[in-house]
Amino acid sequence: MLVICLVIVFPLAYSLWMSFADVNLLRATGPALELFGVRIPLFRYVGLQNYARLLADPLYWDAFWRTAYFVGAFVCETTVVGLGMALVLQERFLGRPLMRSLLLIPWSLSRVVVGLLWIGILDVEFGALNGLLYKAGLIESYVSFLKSGFSALNVLVSVYMWNQAPFATLLLLAGMQSIPMELYMAAEVDGAGYWQRLRYVTLPALRGILFLILVVSTVNGFLMLDLIYILTMGGPGNETTTISWLGFQTAFQFFKFGPGTAILYTLTVLCLLLTVVYHKIVFRRLEAAEL
Amino acid sequence: MERITRRSFLQTTGLLGASAVLADGVFHETRADKPINFAGWVFKPDTVKDYVNVYNQKFGGQVTYEAIPWAQYHPTMETRAFGGEVFDVMYCAHNFRERWYDNGLIRPLDDLPGMDELKKKMTPQNLESLKSKDGKLAALPYFTSLFVLIYNEPMLQQAGIKAPAKSWDELVEHSLKLKKDKVSDHPFLLNWNVSPSGTMPQFMTDAFSEGASVFDAKNRVIVDQEPGVARAMERWQKVWKAELVNPEVLTKTSSTDTHRLFWTGRYAYHTNHSYYLKTIAGEPENSKLAPKKAKMTMYPGTGQTYMWTDSYAINAKTKSLDDAWKLARFLGGNLAGDWYVQRQWCLISGLDNPYPEMYEHPDIIASYDRWVDLKLLRKQYEKGKVIAAYKEPWYSEYDVKAVPIVHNMIRGGVSVPQGLKELVKLQKSLV
Repeated sequence: MLVICLVIVFPLAYSLWMSFADVNLLRATGPALELFGVRIPLFRYVGLQNYARLLADPLYWDAFWRTAYFVGAFVCETTVVGLGMALVLQERFLGRPLMRSLLLIPWSLSRVVVGLLWIGILDVEFGALNGLLYKAGLIESYVSFLKSGFSALNVLVSVYMWNQAPFATLLLLAGMQSIPMELYMAAEVDGAGYWQRLRYVTLPALRGILFLILVVSTVNGFLMLDLIYILTMGGPGNETTTISWLGFQTAFQFFKFGPGTAILYTLTVLCLLLTVVYHKIVFRRLEAAEL
Repeated sequence: MERITRRSFLQTTGLLGASAVLADGVFHETRADKPINFAGWVFKPDTVKDYVNVYNQKFGGQVTYEAIPWAQYHPTMETRAFGGEVFDVMYCAHNFRERWYDNGLIRPLDDLPGMDELKKKMTPQNLESLKSKDGKLAALPYFTSLFVLIYNEPMLQQAGIKAPAKSWDELVEHSLKLKKDKVSDHPFLLNWNVSPSGTMPQFMTDAFSEGASVFDAKNRVIVDQEPGVARAMERWQKVWKAELVNPEVLTKTSSTDTHRLFWTGRYAYHTNHSYYLKTIAGEPENSKLAPKKAKMTMYPGTGQTYMWTDSYAINAKTKSLDDAWKLARFLGGNLAGDWYVQRQWCLISGLDNPYPEMYEHPDIIASYDRWVDLKLLRKQYEKGKVIAAYKEPWYSEYDVKAVPIVHNMIRGGVSVPQGLKELVKLQKSLV
C-alpha cells in the first residue's frame, strides 16, 4: 500500500497540485512539504488561473479539435486494420506462423525508430515510397507528404496506426481463439455465410476485447507525442500540434510547468470521459440482453 | 658495505617523507583536490571525453563528465537542479543563460582571476552577448556561429551561371532559371525548419540583411514598422509560391537535418549556420559537395546575419569554485596560456569561437582551408549581428510561437503586413 502511494498516488496528487500553481523549478523556496526528510516545494497556489487561461486560449482549442480528429482517425484505423489482420491471420494458410511473428515487429519497435524509419519512407527527396510510386508511373514528380498540415496530420495517424495495430491484432487473435468452434458450426448449419458469421458470432464474442482496444488506443492516441517530436514538431505552422504536444511545449520549452500540467490534465479528463462513453456503447446491448 | 642502523634508517625514511611532502606542496597548485561534475548536451561526446581526459591528466583534475541529449538538455538540468544535484560546470545555450542567471542557478564570472584578460581577447559582440542584463559576464564561450550563404558551384556552372548571387534579386533569378531549366526541382534551401535554431534565426538574418531591425532598444518586436522585414517576407512568399524551396523544410525538426539535404547536391543555394559548411564541403564520406564543391559567399544585401554564442557556465552552488573556474577556463578560454579546447573545436568541427587570435594559428588556417575560404568567413563574422532580446523572460515562448505565424506568412495564409502585426501582438501578449 505504501509503495502504491509513493509510486502512483503521490506523483498524481503532486502533479495535480502543480496544475493549480505557479511553478518555477529554479525557485523552489516558499511553502513546502516534508516527506521522509525530503523537502517538496508547493510553489505559489494560483487557483484555477492556469485552467482559465488555457480555456481562453485559441491555440488550445485548435489543438483540441486537431486532437479529436487525430484520436478519432487513429482509433478507427487501428480497430479496423487490427481486426482485418486478425481475421486474415485466423485463417489457415502457408506461412501463417511466420506472418504472426512478423506482425509484432512494428509494435515492438521504439517510436523514435518508427519515426526515423517513416522519414526514410516518406521523404520528398529520397523516400522509398516516392521512388516506388515514381517508378510505377503513378506520380510525375516526388510528392511531399508533410507539405500541408492536414496531410502531415494524416501521415501521423497512419504511422502511429502502423505501430499500434499489431497489438490490436494480437488481442483480437487471442479473443478469436477462445470462441468455441461449435458456435461457428451451428451458424453454418443454419446457413450463415462468412459475413453473417462475422456479424453474429465473431464480433459479439469479441466485445470485451474491442472495448479494451478502444480504451487503450484512445488513451494512446491522446498521449502520442514522440512521433510528432520526430516527424513534424507540431508543424508546418501549428497544424500538427495536438494537446499532448502543446502541453509538452508549454512545460518543457516555455518552462511553464503549471499551465503545462493543466493542459495535460485536461487530456486525463477526456480519457476518463471517453472510457465511460465506450463502456456504455459497447456493453449497452449486452446488458440489455442480460436484463 | 655500510651497515643499516636504526638511526640511519630513521634519517633516510624521514628525508624521503619530507621530500614527498615538499614535492606535493610544489605540485599542489596544479592538482585539483575536489571532484568536479561537468555536464553538456550531446555533441561529439567522445571528443568532449577526450578533452576531460586531457584536463585530468595535464592539470590533475578529477572531472566527471555527463552527456545529456540535446533536445531535453535544459529541462533536464533544471529538474536535476530542482532535485538538489550540482553540476559545477555546464553547457548553456544562449537563450537559457539569462533564465539560469536570473534564477540563481549560475554565477557571474567577472570576479574570477584572469577574467579581465580573457574579456580583452574576445570580440566585442560576443562579449556583449555573453553578458546578463545587469551587465555581468554570465559564461565563457563554447562556440559562436552565424548564418552564411552557401552555394553549389558545379550546379551553377552546369546552368551557365558564372558567379554566385550578390543580391537577393540575383539569387531569386538564378533559382528561377535553375528550376525552369530543370537543373533543380527546388534550387533554394532556406533554413525554415521548425526548431528554435531554424525559422526565427533565419527570419532575423534576412531582416538584418535588408538593413532592418527586429527588436528596438527595449527589446520590443518592431517588425511591423520595418520595411526591410516586409521586403524579406515578400521574397519568402515569392520563392515559396514559385516552388523554389523544398516544402518539407517546414517540417524538418533541426538545422542538422536541413543541412543534410544540401549534401545531395540537388540544391543551388543554402542558408544555415556557418559550421555546417564543414560537413557539406569537407566530408566527402557524407556529402556529394565535398571537397569544396560547395562554397560560401557573402550574404546578400547588407551582409549582416544573426550571430549567437553558446557557453560554459559555472553553478552558483559549486563547492569547488577554484577548480570549476579552472575547468571552465580550460574549456572556454585558455588555461596556462593554451587554447586547447577552443582550438580543437575549430579543427574537429569547424565550431568558431570569439577569440580572433585563434585564426592566426597555422593548424587552424590549414584545416579551414580544406573546406572554406577563411578570410571570407572572417569577413562575414565582421557582419555578425547579436541581439539582446533573448535575455528577456518571454523570449523562448515568443521564439516558438512565432514560427507558425511566419510559416503561415511564407505560405500566403496571411498577408505580410498582417503576419508582421501578429508577431508584434504575440510579443506584447507575452510580456
